[in-house]
Amino acid sequence: MDKIRVNADLYVKDVPGQLVAALEPISVMEGNIVGVVHHRDQIMNDRIGINVTFDLADSERLDRLLSVWKERDVHISRIGSVVETFPLDYLLIGDISPSWLETMLDRIRDSLGIESLDIRYSAVTNTGNRTALIKAKLTNKENLRKAEQLINEIVKERDILAVRGLGK
Amino acid sequence: MKRMDLVIAGFGTVGQGFAEVLDMRGKSIALSTGVEPRIVGAFDSKSAIYDEEGLDPNLLLYNKASGKVGNEPLVDGVAFLESIDYDLLVEVSPTNIVTGGPGLHHMRSALGSGKHLITVNKGPLALAFSELSSIARENCVEMRYEGSVGGGMPIINLCRESLSGQEISSVMGILNGTCNFILSRMDSGLPFEQALKEAQELGYAESDPSYDIDGIDTACKVVILANSVFEIDCNIHDVDVSGITAITEEAVAMAAEQNYCIRLIGEVSKERLEVSPRLVLKGHPLSVGGTLNVAQVNTDLAGPISISGRGAGRLETASAILSDLLAIIRSSVNNK
Repeated sequence: MDKIRVNADLYVKDVPGQLVAALEPISVMEGNIVGVVHHRDQIMNDRIGINVTFDLADSERLDRLLSVWKERDVHISRIGSVVETFPLDYLLIGDISPSWLETMLDRIRDSLGIESLDIRYSAVTNTGNRTALIKAKLTNKENLRKAEQLINEIVKERDILAVRGLGK
Repeated sequence: MKRMDLVIAGFGTVGQGFAEVLDMRGKSIALSTGVEPRIVGAFDSKSAIYDEEGLDPNLLLYNKASGKVGNEPLVDGVAFLESIDYDLLVEVSPTNIVTGGPGLHHMRSALGSGKHLITVNKGPLALAFSELSSIARENCVEMRYEGSVGGGMPIINLCRESLSGQEISSVMGILNGTCNFILSRMDSGLPFEQALKEAQELGYAESDPSYDIDGIDTACKVVILANSVFEIDCNIHDVDVSGITAITEEAVAMAAEQNYCIRLIGEVSKERLEVSPRLVLKGHPLSVGGTLNVAQVNTDLAGPISISGRGAGRLETASAILSDLLAIIRSSVNNK
């Protein structure tokens, strides 16, 4: 599942217990609250504004949270979320053809999912070797580990040197 | 005043550096701890010297400058060690990564006969760390090896003492100054062969540089960190090793376009024992240049902690031996 970070502007009634009513469901969804800011100067229809940033394990939990907020009469004026990504950075040095590299990356894309991908090639040197730089983003740490394992296995077969990034 | 009698096995650059440092700091150690460290014996590959009343470090340095550290011919280092009385062996003989060399025998002999050991000799540690630790434990003596990883950069004591109580998930670092010099020069556009030649001319690389550039030296340090910090019972054959010989100037240039540099990184964790060239973002703590060593320790409470320093050198490595000596003296004082 893809971890997401959510930032939301909420309006809650300015009476005791309402802030807890808005934040407690985040904990119930096993979310991690990163920050809460009260905007006591932003009052609308006897409600005060709060901005909350939190992490959730997946978007399905976010849907459930939105339902709970609706039931508890928490007004949402704005909500945005981004999916956490994990960088897969590789420099490959050796006998590399673009078609071979595309085939390898297709295998990763099909089985593990890639959020974004950028490939650059150097010209072929007089030794017949070339360098390829891969910059990709995966949405899951376990898939990143599997992708690294797969690349390492494939490049070993072709005696290609893989220089990978340090990771997160 | 109590005494701690030392024998130095191997009187090359590091052995001489330690004798020099002990001459500078011996009195202050005696004053602060109540224990006087004295050199009572020393030997190199050809000669040996012993005096139960203590030896002047300057005499040893003078002798060595004249060719031999001692006046007795040395036949067998172990036989010499078994024939004399001492408390602590400083083992700094040349390393041998295939068999452990004489250094491994010296270490077994010293620990087996109840003597403390300080070493910077990586070969024996990378081959037989677990065995040597067991001998030390069985004989209730200490084995310390701070200078074996990172020279003057106190990475082992940082992990084992300053960070004790924290969970360390990984240690990553540049642990070989020769490779780092070569890769730093390649950052300036030099091809590998030329950067290597420059390193050899400046004395940073041996005439046979394979021990460094094939990643073997870094792998030895990975093994020592794995055993000492993570308590992983492993040896050099358990490390996945790639060197830097296949790094091309095109690869370095392509990495630089994306704000990366390439560095030979040793990585130790419960899941991974690896030495390989890695892409490091410029500005990252591990993106240092020149012959510097650097390590990043990832902890659960304090987060990442970085430490950097000179990975080799006469006085730098001697400083690590000195810190080990002080730790053993303090421990022996506290235990009495």
